[in-house]
Amino acid sequence: MSTDYDDTSTDDDVEMTVTSLDAHDPIMQIHDARVTYDMDRGESRVLDDVHLELEREEIIGVVGESGSGKSMLASAMLDSVPDPGQLAGQIRYNPEDRDQIDLLSLSKEELRQVRWEDISMVFQGAMSSFNPVLSVKAHFKETLETHDHNVKEGMERARELLSDLYLQPDRVLNSYPHELSGGMRQRALLALSVVLEPDVLVMDEPTAALDLLMQRSILMLMEELQESYDLTMLFITHDLPLVASLADRMAIMYAFQLVEIGPTRALLDKAAHPYTRALLNSTPNLDAPLDEMQSIEGASPDPVNVPDGCSYHPRCPFAEEKCIESEPEYFLPETDHGVACFNWREAKERMSLNHLQARDDSGEQVRDTDDERGGEN
Amino acid sequence: MKHSETDSQDGLEWTYDASQEVGMTRREKLREYYEEYLYKPGLVAWSDWRTRIGYAIVGLYLLFAVIAQFNLYRPPEASQEMPMLQAFQEGSAILGSNTIGQDILSLMIHATPEMLIMIVSGAVFAIVIAVLVGTFAGFKGGRVDSALMFAADVGMSIPGLPLVLVLTSTLRPTNPAIIGIIITINYWAGLSRAIRAQTLSIRENSYVEASRVMGVSTPRIMFKDIIPNLMPYITVNFVNACRAVIFFSVGLYYLGFLPYTNANWGVVLNNAYTQGAILGGSYVWLMAPIVMIMLLSLGLILIAQGMDRVFNPRVRTRLAGESESVEGDAEEGEVDTFGGAM
Amino acid sequence: MVNYYIKRTGQMVVTLYAVVTIAFGLVRFLPGGPATALRAQLMQDDVPSEVIAQRIELYLSVNPDAPLLDQYISYMSNIFLNGSLGKSVFIQRQTPVTEILAEALPWTLFIVISSIILFHIMAVVIGALMAYWEGSLFDTVNSAIAIVFTSIPFYVLAIVLVWILGYEMSLFPVGNRYGDAIDPGLSVTYILDVIYHGALPIASMVITQYGVRALSFRGNSIQILGEDFVRVARLRGLSDSRIALWYVGRNAILPLYTGFLLSLGWLLGGTVILEEIFNYPGIGLKFIEALEVRDYPVIMGVFIMITVALVVGIYIADLTYGKIDPRIETGDQSEAF
Repeated sequence: MSTDYDDTSTDDDVEMTVTSLDAHDPIMQIHDARVTYDMDRGESRVLDDVHLELEREEIIGVVGESGSGKSMLASAMLDSVPDPGQLAGQIRYNPEDRDQIDLLSLSKEELRQVRWEDISMVFQGAMSSFNPVLSVKAHFKETLETHDHNVKEGMERARELLSDLYLQPDRVLNSYPHELSGGMRQRALLALSVVLEPDVLVMDEPTAALDLLMQRSILMLMEELQESYDLTMLFITHDLPLVASLADRMAIMYAFQLVEIGPTRALLDKAAHPYTRALLNSTPNLDAPLDEMQSIEGASPDPVNVPDGCSYHPRCPFAEEKCIESEPEYFLPETDHGVACFNWREAKERMSLNHLQARDDSGEQVRDTDDERGGEN
Repeated sequence: MKHSETDSQDGLEWTYDASQEVGMTRREKLREYYEEYLYKPGLVAWSDWRTRIGYAIVGLYLLFAVIAQFNLYRPPEASQEMPMLQAFQEGSAILGSNTIGQDILSLMIHATPEMLIMIVSGAVFAIVIAVLVGTFAGFKGGRVDSALMFAADVGMSIPGLPLVLVLTSTLRPTNPAIIGIIITINYWAGLSRAIRAQTLSIRENSYVEASRVMGVSTPRIMFKDIIPNLMPYITVNFVNACRAVIFFSVGLYYLGFLPYTNANWGVVLNNAYTQGAILGGSYVWLMAPIVMIMLLSLGLILIAQGMDRVFNPRVRTRLAGESESVEGDAEEGEVDTFGGAM
Repeated sequence: MVNYYIKRTGQMVVTLYAVVTIAFGLVRFLPGGPATALRAQLMQDDVPSEVIAQRIELYLSVNPDAPLLDQYISYMSNIFLNGSLGKSVFIQRQTPVTEILAEALPWTLFIVISSIILFHIMAVVIGALMAYWEGSLFDTVNSAIAIVFTSIPFYVLAIVLVWILGYEMSLFPVGNRYGDAIDPGLSVTYILDVIYHGALPIASMVITQYGVRALSFRGNSIQILGEDFVRVARLRGLSDSRIALWYVGRNAILPLYTGFLLSLGWLLGGTVILEEIFNYPGIGLKFIEALEVRDYPVIMGVFIMITVALVVGIYIADLTYGKIDPRIETGDQSEAF
C-alpha cells in the first residue's frame, strides 16, 4: 500500500506549547482536568490531565472507544463526577456578560445555578433521563421553577423548542416518558436541556440508542438548534463519522487523554496519530470497500494500569523505545492541529487511510477536501 | 405461542442432534449441573459474611439432627430429671427441666430432625410446583398461561394459615413430610407468578429463541435454558419457603392443631406458656424454643440476603459499586463497532 | 382502559366464585370434614335420623342427602344471593355466622389495619434514612436489627410481650378489647383504652413485619439513587427535598404498594394465632374457638371472609396501581405483581 499523501504543512517537528491549540475566545477552558477513584487495586485515573478549550459557538466532537474516559470529561465539565471520584485541575467558564467563573471553586448553591442555566447536558439514553412517574410537562415546570424563571414564558419557550424539533408540543408535554418513542424522548430531552437558554451544551452520546435514521435527523436538529440559540456544543460519541458531519473541530480520546485534536477536515484527511488513523480505517461507512476495513488490535487500557510512556504503545505499530520511556507532548502538524505522538510523521506515511484511497480510486481530488471549516481557528 | 410440538420430523432430528452433540453421560451432566448451578454460586455466596454466618447456623441444626438421629444425646423422657430445674442447676440438664422432669436441651435437640424433614419437604414441594407452573405458563403463553395463572390467582387468594388450620385439624397428619406439604399447600401460587414473570423475560433471549426455532422440545428448553437461569431466584425463594414452614408449623404446634408430639419447639413453647414457666420463673423453658426458632429463621434469612446480594447486582450498593462509573463508561456502546451513520 | 376495568372486575368475581367453590369442596369432601362431623354430632345428640339432613342444611347450607349438584347450587346461592354463611352449631348456637363475624370483624380490622399502616410508615422512614446514610453506623445497625426482628415469628414476639409486659411488669392488659369498667362510646377514655388493649397485638405485628419492607425500601432507594434521572435531576438543580420525595421516594415506594394491600389478607390470616395469644376477641379468636369444637359454619365463614378480603385487596391493588405508576396504565400487562 503506497502512500501518495505528502504533508505540506511543516517540514520540521514542531513541538510548540499546547496554547497554540487553544481558543481565541474560549467559552470554556478545561486545564489539566484529572478524575481519580481510589480503588482496592490502586488509584484509578479515568481522566488524565485533559487540556481542552471550547471556542464560543463552535461544535466540537470528542470521539473515543468505550471506556476511554469521554463520559468522564462530560461530567467534569459540569463538576458532576460520580461519587467518590475526585476531580482536580481547572474548569473555567467565560460568560459573555459576566466575569469568568471557576467551576471548581463554586459553592454548592452557585454550582446549582450555573448548571443547566449556563452549562447544560444531554445524557445518553433519554429513556432513563426522565422520571418515569412524572409527566414531561412536570419536568419542564420544575426545572423552570427551581431556577426562578417565569414559568409561563418558560413553557412558551418549551413549546416553541418542541415544535422546532418537529414535535407536537401539547401531546408531548402531556405524556409520560414511557409513552414517547425513543426519538421523541430524545428530542424532548434536548428541548429540556436548552429550555433555560444555556450557552454551553454538553452531549454524552445523545443518539446512541437510536436507529440510524433517527440519529441523522436529531443531528440535523441539533445543528439548527445551535444556530438559532447560539449554543456552544461539545458532542461526545464513539461514532466518528456521526460527529464528523456535524463538528467544527474534533478531539480523539484514548486512554483518558486527548491524543489528537484539530479541525474536522484535518482530522479526517490528515490524521496524524496512529490511533486516529486506525480508528478511521476501522470505520466502515467512509466509502471504503469492506475488505479493507481493519479492526484495531488489542484492547483499551485499564484505568488503574495505564501503560508507561505513550499509553497507545502496546497497540501501536510504530512504537519504539522512546514511546515506552516518555510521554509524548503535542506535536503540531498544523498550527490548529495537535497530535500526541512521536512518530506522527511515520504514521502518516506508512498507514494509508482507506477512505482517501477509496476516493482516489473514484477519481476525487483529495487535496480539495480542505474546506473553510478547518481554517476557522 | 405455537412451536415445537407442531413441528415435523425435522424438529425431532434437531433434538436428537442436540443431545448427540452434547455427548455426555447422565452422570457427567449431573456433575456439570452441580458445578454450574450449585457449587459455583455456593462458592460465590460464601464470599458474603451473611451467607457464611447463615451456613454456620444451618450447619449447627444439621449437627443437632445428627445427634438426635443417632441418639448421641438422650431422648426426652418424663422424670429423667427433677421437675422444674433451673438452667445450670444440675450438670446433667444444663438447660433445666420442665414440670414433668424432661430435660429441656434434649427436647430441643430431638425436635430438630422432624423439623428439618418438615421444612425441606414443604419447601421442595412449594418450589417444585411453583417452578413448573411458572416456567410452563411463561414459556407456553396463550391459554395454558391464562389457565395456570388463574389457578395461581385463586391459590393466592386463599389465606394460608386458616386453610392449613382447616386441613390439619381435619386430616390430623402425623408424618412430618406430609405436614410440610400441607403447610405449603398454596405457597406455590404467589411464587409461580413471579417465576412466570422472570421466565417471560428470559424467553426473549436470543438463545431461547434459537432453541425454539430449532424445534427443541419444551421440557428440554425449560430444564436446559430457563430453569438454570432462574436458579439464583429459586434458591433465594427456597430459603424463604423454608422460613414459612418454620413459622407455620411451630404456630400450628403451639395452637395444638397438629397431633401431639413430644418433642417439637411449638409444643414446648405452648407447654411452657400454659404450664406456668412464666409464673414459675423458668425462663429458659420458654426461651429455649424461641431461640431455636429464631436462630434457624435468622440463619435462613442471612443466607437469602447474602445470596440476593451476590445474585442480584441491583442490591449492591453505591459504595460496593464504586468502579461503577468506570464500568458504566464501558457499557455505553459496542466496543468494537466504530461504524455508524454516514 | 374501561375494558380493562371490566375485565379485571369479571376476573375478580370469577376468582371469588372459584374460592367459594373450594370452600364448598372442603365442607363437603374433606374426610371427617364438616358434613360428616356434624352428622355424627347430631346422631350423638339423639336427633331423629329423618331430621338430621334438615339440621345439617340449616347449619351448613348443604343437604348431604341431596344430589351433589343441588347441594352445590344451594350452597353457592346461599352465599352469593342471600349473603348467608350458615348458622353456628356450637359456639353461639343458631346464631347466623354473618352476625357473629359482623360483631368481631371491626376489632380484627382495627388491629390489622393499624398494624399495616404503622409498619409501612416505619419501613419507609427507616428504609429511607438507611439509604440516605448508606454504609453508616445507622445503616448497619438498623439493617442488623431489621434482620433480627424479621426472624422472629410474630406470635413468638407476642408471647414474649405478653409474658414480659403483660404478666411480669403488668404494664399492658392481657385479653379483651377494652376494660370492664369502661362504657363503650365515643369518649376519649374509651378510645384510649381500646388503643391500650390493642397495643401489644399491634406491636408484635409491627415489630416483626417492618424489617423486610424497610430493607426492601432501602434497596429500592439505593437503586434509584443510582438512576440517570436522579443524576439529571441534580444537574437540573432540583432541591434535595424534591428529589428525595418525587424522584427517589415516589419510585422506591412502587414495589411496596402492592405489598401494602396484599398484607391485609396475610395479617388477617395471622390474627388467628395473634388473637389466641392475646385472648383478643376478633374473628381470629372465633376461628380458633370454632376449630376447637369443629363448628364448621363459623370456620368456613371466617375462611370465606378472609378470602374475600384478600381477593378484594388484590383487585384494588391491580386497579389502583396504574394510578401511582403511570407506566402500568397503558400496558396490557396490568397485573401489579
